[in-house]
Amino acid sequence: MSAVAVEGVWKFYGDYPALRDIRLDAAPGSCLALIGRNGAGKTTLLRIVAGFSRAQRGKIEIHGNDPRDTETRRQLGFLGHGIAVYDELSALENLILYGKLYGLPDPRKSALEWLERTGLERVRNGLVREFSRGMRQRLAVARAFLHEPGVLLLDEPFTALDDRAIAVLQRLLREALAAGKTIVMSTHQLREALELATHVALLSRGQLAFHGQCTPEMAADPGYIYARYGEA
Amino acid sequence: MRFFRQVAVVAFKDLRAELRTKEAINASLAFSIVILLLFSFAFDPSEDTMREISGGLLWIVFAFAGTLMLNRSFARELPNDCLDALIAAPLPASALFLGKCLANYALVLAVELVSLPVFGIFYNVHWARQFPELLLVLLLGTWALTIIGTIFSALTVNIKLREVMLPMLTYPILIPALMSAMQLTTALVSGTPIGADNVDSLKMLIGFDIVFTAVSLVLVETVLVG
Amino acid sequence: MRDALFSFFGSGAPVAMAAAVVALVASVVFLRTRNFLYDALALAATKTGFALLAAALAAGVLRSRTAAGVWWVWDTRLTAALVCGLIYAAYLMLRRAIEEPTERATSAAVVSVLAFLDAPLAAIAIAWWRARRTLPPEGGPPPGWGTLASGNALAMLLAGAALTVILLRREERRRAQDAERRAALTL
Repeated sequence: MSAVAVEGVWKFYGDYPALRDIRLDAAPGSCLALIGRNGAGKTTLLRIVAGFSRAQRGKIEIHGNDPRDTETRRQLGFLGHGIAVYDELSALENLILYGKLYGLPDPRKSALEWLERTGLERVRNGLVREFSRGMRQRLAVARAFLHEPGVLLLDEPFTALDDRAIAVLQRLLREALAAGKTIVMSTHQLREALELATHVALLSRGQLAFHGQCTPEMAADPGYIYARYGEA
Repeated sequence: MRFFRQVAVVAFKDLRAELRTKEAINASLAFSIVILLLFSFAFDPSEDTMREISGGLLWIVFAFAGTLMLNRSFARELPNDCLDALIAAPLPASALFLGKCLANYALVLAVELVSLPVFGIFYNVHWARQFPELLLVLLLGTWALTIIGTIFSALTVNIKLREVMLPMLTYPILIPALMSAMQLTTALVSGTPIGADNVDSLKMLIGFDIVFTAVSLVLVETVLVG
Repeated sequence: MRDALFSFFGSGAPVAMAAAVVALVASVVFLRTRNFLYDALALAATKTGFALLAAALAAGVLRSRTAAGVWWVWDTRLTAALVCGLIYAAYLMLRRAIEEPTERATSAAVVSVLAFLDAPLAAIAIAWWRARRTLPPEGGPPPGWGTLASGNALAMLLAGAALTVILLRREERRRAQDAERRAALTL
């Protein structure tokens, strides 16, 4: 069974189809890079997979279940454009909050552990509004990974990160893949993404132009996919 | 039960965040005191007239000051896209909603309980004659305000004109509850206990609370996710 | 002549209630099926109801001016019409405030449900409020009202239905144009 299955998904804004008949899947333990120009529908698709909005036609299955099921949501980790942590709370308070929401057995312990893994243990009691941008981004990564999700959904994760945060994220993603987790990542940063990707899907104007394994040619020359399958 | 634990987590998060910055509660309190002050400049009523208009004046103050607070309810989740993370988290939308309602309820009640003595002082009115019953009306009426304000806060969270649309939606819908609360409050401040002639207002308040709480709990998932 | 006009527009109020029911059913069906036809129907029905309420209010205002010399009387039905008018005005304003069509339709449908539950409660609250305050007795209908009223109501119903259909078609057309516009923008 696929970890993530997108079956015949259409998304309309009124009468306008933003996504047309998208069919793809990601096997457990694979890393799917979702690429495409701005406006192609990457974020729209990812948000539907994550359960933030509904497709008008078709369905999504996460390990065979609906993404809106409470149990399935426990399995999903989402890293979007915003850091999704509260400025008025401390780093530790934020992670404990999410730990409790995700029903972790020991939220405080998990929070401390992930603060350490993202290099934030020394600032754990600092309020997020006083953090530098890089620190905020690393906290966002900690939040996404905190509950050890089986499926990670990342929307342009490398775009706003500084070098240190990119290194942290790449390390964590490699560890997750090695542990058999599934990753779906939409991206513009082809180089960083294709280093990790096992599969690639190209979205062009709401339609799937290509979906298959990530070949050495693609990893070597990111422009290759666009030239071959999409508009240049 | 997990549902109520999650409700508590959300409620305490909102309360902690608000009490740390105190932005909304200070604004709400200041607003209510300013309105009470303005009214006392505008009118110089006798004690009897004052008791007659007490219900109306108090609930107008509560509704306006409360809406200030309720506007922030879901709007506080917008910076950093926190709302996405809450929707993605494994808690039912109704738990998220109820948690926020409870936090809002506590905050709005706090503003009201401070406004009451201020009202008493400014207008020289003894409002505490039927205090237990007045408290009951306060609790029921504020719940109505909270439920309607919070569901519309969720609905208008992504709209540009949120500050305008929230009151425009909330006040008309609240009319049955506000009218009942005003009528009961006027009677209670005047010293008349709730009797046969205004128990129907109490029933209206209770009915309003039950109906709109139930409907909001059911509809909030649609409002947040679509 | 004047009375006839007043009663004609005044009888729009029950038809406005019928429009509200149509809007509610359309909204609920939309929430179930996500078919935009029902959203367009809910909008058309609400606009129709709102127009009828506005006409009834105008008739009420003019009638109270000519009959009682004041611009407004706190008549139960008139006040209830005003409150319902405000609620549906909020619905229409909300629709204008949301740009994205799916979000607009969904939010509007939710408001429609809440509004429909609220309207009868508001009417009851207003009736009790009137009974509590010693207000002048309500102006009853003039003699011979029965047959005139039912004829008027029927005419109003047909007018309302026609208006709804016209507005429905217009909304459908507008939605198609919106889709074309979006398609053009993404090239």
